[in-house]
Amino acid sequence: MDLYLLLVPGLILLLVFKYVPMYGIIIAFKDFDLNAGILGSKWVGLYNFRRLIESASFGVVFKNTLIISFYKIIILFPIPIIIALLMNEMKRMHFKKFIQTIITLPHFLSWVVLTGLFVNILAFSGGFVNEVLNMFGLDSISFLTNPKMFRGVLVFTSGWKEVGWSAIIYIAAIAGVDQEQYEAAYIDGAGRFKQMLHVTLPGISSTIIVLLVLRLGGVLEAGTEQILLLYSPTVYSVGDVIGTYVYRMGLGEMQYSYATAVGIFNSVVGFILVICGNFASKKITGKSIW
Amino acid sequence: MRYKKHAEDWIIDSIAYIGMSLFAITALIPFLNVVAKSFSSNTAIISGKVGIFPKGFNLDSMKYVIISKEFQSSFRISIFLTVVATLFSVFIVVLTAYPLSKKHIKGIKPILLIFIFTMFFGGGMIPNYLLIKNLGWMDSLLPLIVPNALNVFNIILVKSYYESIPESLEESARLDGASNLTILFRIVIPLSKPIIATILLFTAVGNWNSWFEAMLYINNSALKPLPLYLRDIIMLATSIEQPTDMDAVANFTAEGARAATIIVSTLPILLVYPFVQKYFITGIMIGSVKG
Repeated sequence: MDLYLLLVPGLILLLVFKYVPMYGIIIAFKDFDLNAGILGSKWVGLYNFRRLIESASFGVVFKNTLIISFYKIIILFPIPIIIALLMNEMKRMHFKKFIQTIITLPHFLSWVVLTGLFVNILAFSGGFVNEVLNMFGLDSISFLTNPKMFRGVLVFTSGWKEVGWSAIIYIAAIAGVDQEQYEAAYIDGAGRFKQMLHVTLPGISSTIIVLLVLRLGGVLEAGTEQILLLYSPTVYSVGDVIGTYVYRMGLGEMQYSYATAVGIFNSVVGFILVICGNFASKKITGKSIW
Repeated sequence: MRYKKHAEDWIIDSIAYIGMSLFAITALIPFLNVVAKSFSSNTAIISGKVGIFPKGFNLDSMKYVIISKEFQSSFRISIFLTVVATLFSVFIVVLTAYPLSKKHIKGIKPILLIFIFTMFFGGGMIPNYLLIKNLGWMDSLLPLIVPNALNVFNIILVKSYYESIPESLEESARLDGASNLTILFRIVIPLSKPIIATILLFTAVGNWNSWFEAMLYINNSALKPLPLYLRDIIMLATSIEQPTDMDAVANFTAEGARAATIIVSTLPILLVYPFVQKYFITGIMIGSVKG
């Protein structure tokens, strides 16, 4: 049947660009040599994985990944819900649309542009934020090179980029809450605050749980692109995460086999977390991503 | 429902309107500051006195960016990449999603699983890099067009949409002797315009913004797309070219030029976004209700 023929281009791309790289992960079990190629390189068994477990630097990287991810989840996960609740209370449609346009826009900017904006505004000398601090008699802060500030900058910039956009999904969920419940609550004497608490919030609770579980499944991705652009050697101790470590080890120091081993660790643990997350979401709410 | 305004209403209204306005202002300040810098004089920039309004208004930084050869070249590369990579990807997606939407054809379920598996597991950065190297695609635009064309997430979205189209429409065409390819292009695709518009826009934004692959695979500065050029001038202070004609851009500062480059490269998104917002929002809704 010619239906199968329509699959051919997609299948070729799938095999070459998704499955061939999966075959390529065998270099994690070899001492890969560019000249010898994948097949010609020497097998070393689990050497690279043993190195990973014993390496102090990987320990730091793993810890950073979890800490940055958890900061992002704890601080940023509730904000879109609050935004959606507040937006729901706004009845002036034009103003609401205007605000929505502004707060969702940053999602569509690249991390490069964001880096440009924040390197500019956070600059130690002449940066807008430090100028304002100075105006109030406070000392300038080197946001991007001070290990104490760096994780805060990561959390803030990802919040700046994503919270408005993430609120959309909750706004949609709120629109689906049964209107009769509000009327019933109103007749029972519930004011707007009580309605928010006892009708709106329970109405979107399953959406909240699904998104939280999925977010927890992605805990190993702490923001590779963001960090690669914003960090520098002075903040490696607090900002280096698995994704950036793979990049530096593999393509910076040409330790292809070791970096691939780190990548496999990342994919396998990440895969298990996503599967568990999806399973948990199905159990709790009956909803899942597939 | 109309009722008298209670004290509670005033409180909630104030929190909602003031709170959201503060959010919006926070979202705008980094932009306004960069816009202000790109129109300010060099003395105002160097003394660090530019807030959210330009000081010593002039167009020199903008002029510098627009006449810069490197900027022009990377802007052209980005336009080309965005158009070609997006059209190619959407073509592959709408084509591949069609047979996958036909649950009754033999062997389609396992094939679907082979696609879905790659959403959750991949070879990772290094094997991908070595593949591109072995293909001899370093320093070409191919790795920025071909490997990501097969977007499995989009395929699943489009496939679900196809499934919602009544089978009877296709059946009658089939009885008239139309081939599957004809049915896809004459009936199914025209009926799927909303979802195709959505993935087209998401893919286009992704391509316009993409820099990581370009950083991995492209060294030749004549092939640098805009985000990579932008990254270089932001991260490596030395890489901004001094203007050749100092008189034309008397107010040149590296900082002003950087600010202007950021603004000009974001402009396409800023201009288009308000008008196409609704497609993005439909997209996220469709993505969230399935399953």
